[in-house]
Amino acid sequence: MLNFQKYLKSFNPRLIARHLLVGDWLTILVSILGVLYLFQILWTNEHAAKVQIRLGDKIYATYSLNQQRDIHVHGKLGDAVISISQGKVRFAKSPCTTQYCVHQGWLARAGQVAICIPNQISLELVGEAKPYDSLNY
Amino acid sequence: MRYLALSLSLLLLLSSCYKEPLYHSQSYVFGTLVDISIYGETDARARLLANQVLKDFQNLHNRLHAWKPISAGNPSELGKLNAAFEHGRSINISPDLAFMLADATKLSVASNGLFNPAIGHLISTWGFQRDEFSAVNIDAEKITALVNDNPKMSDIVLKDNNVYSTNPAVKVDLGGYAKGYALDFAAHYLRKEHVKNALINIGGNIIAIGQHGDQAWRVGIQHPRQPNAIATLDLPDGWAIGTSGDYQRYFMSGGKRYCHIIDPRTGYPVSHTQSVTVLVPPSDHAGVLSDVVSKPIFIETSDNRSKVAQAFGINQFMVIDAQSTILVSKTLAQKLHWISGVKFSEIP
Repeated sequence: MLNFQKYLKSFNPRLIARHLLVGDWLTILVSILGVLYLFQILWTNEHAAKVQIRLGDKIYATYSLNQQRDIHVHGKLGDAVISISQGKVRFAKSPCTTQYCVHQGWLARAGQVAICIPNQISLELVGEAKPYDSLNY
Repeated sequence: MRYLALSLSLLLLLSSCYKEPLYHSQSYVFGTLVDISIYGETDARARLLANQVLKDFQNLHNRLHAWKPISAGNPSELGKLNAAFEHGRSINISPDLAFMLADATKLSVASNGLFNPAIGHLISTWGFQRDEFSAVNIDAEKITALVNDNPKMSDIVLKDNNVYSTNPAVKVDLGGYAKGYALDFAAHYLRKEHVKNALINIGGNIIAIGQHGDQAWRVGIQHPRQPNAIATLDLPDGWAIGTSGDYQRYFMSGGKRYCHIIDPRTGYPVSHTQSVTVLVPPSDHAGVLSDVVSKPIFIETSDNRSKVAQAFGINQFMVIDAQSTILVSKTLAQKLHWISGVKFSEIP
């Protein structure tokens, strides 16, 4: 314990600062900016890892978004096609008349949902934290 | 000391991995998505309670269905009532339906007729009494005639569960009322069963009981044109929230959007608004108000919206107009957490 504290004390900031060169400061600056940038991208704008597909009152399946595939789901009206590509998912085809679900386009962030009420299929992106308990749509 | 702090924080991290007592179910009733969350009950009991709620919803839905008979030649209770009205007969109805008619009449009067469940013939002419919405041929003459028939809720005469209409043009469609009634019904049932925490969502009308663990239930408000929420807000015990939008029930014709919310004065779908959200304080009527009050605000022009909301004692609401401009009342703006980069104006 004592040795550890001694070791820590050797990091005298004034002593260190005197030995650093311009390049060192630049390296430190760039790494701080890099961490902030990654924090912004990966943390605050939480990208989802999985999509949960529900059919009627059942969870139909959960898929990783880290793949390229089309999923065919037979809903109340007929076959819907759900496409997964590069961390995103969307309704690609639906037998419903309004096509509201298809117009929702690509979903990528946790908590985003696309619901096809006539065909009774819903997509929900799940991530670490759910931003809300239920959606007022 | 350092190690103690470290191990304590590790313990805290580990304890957050436990499975929380949250039951969640989704189902399709009332032609929309029903989403029930129950917190703090065993999975088995929560499932039992949620299934009972869904069964009650399905039963209400079948009885109040505006166009679908229970079976061939056997109309719904509301269908029988409408047939009696059309032929000038009186009919006996269940006490709860009598309550709904009287209640909806009161609300219709308070809205100066902008909330008008008596315009079933107009709604059906626009093709919104179907499971799927496709473009219809717009018959201007027929629409004018239906408006001139002037069907009103106050044409309905109710006495001891016996009912008739003085106007044969009255056709009741409880599409803007039944979901709210069902919310109050379910909240009452769950509280009676000593459920402390639940969140019920019927197609965008939500009521909260208790909270989610140690924080309030949190709801997201959907953007009418994008696949994400624009804001979230905490819904405390007993509060309800409801949204009416032009994006779930509509059809396109000649590049124009025709939504299911019809102005009873003109007979035409409203086109100046994309969505209206109302936040309703606790009462035994909160669910009904969350369903009903958004409609007159949706139909009314921008200068009169606060006034019509006020008629129902509501001052927390948000309007997104046809240009996607977001207008929020001051009291609601204080409670919203905007998702990111949302521009809005306060309603004075």
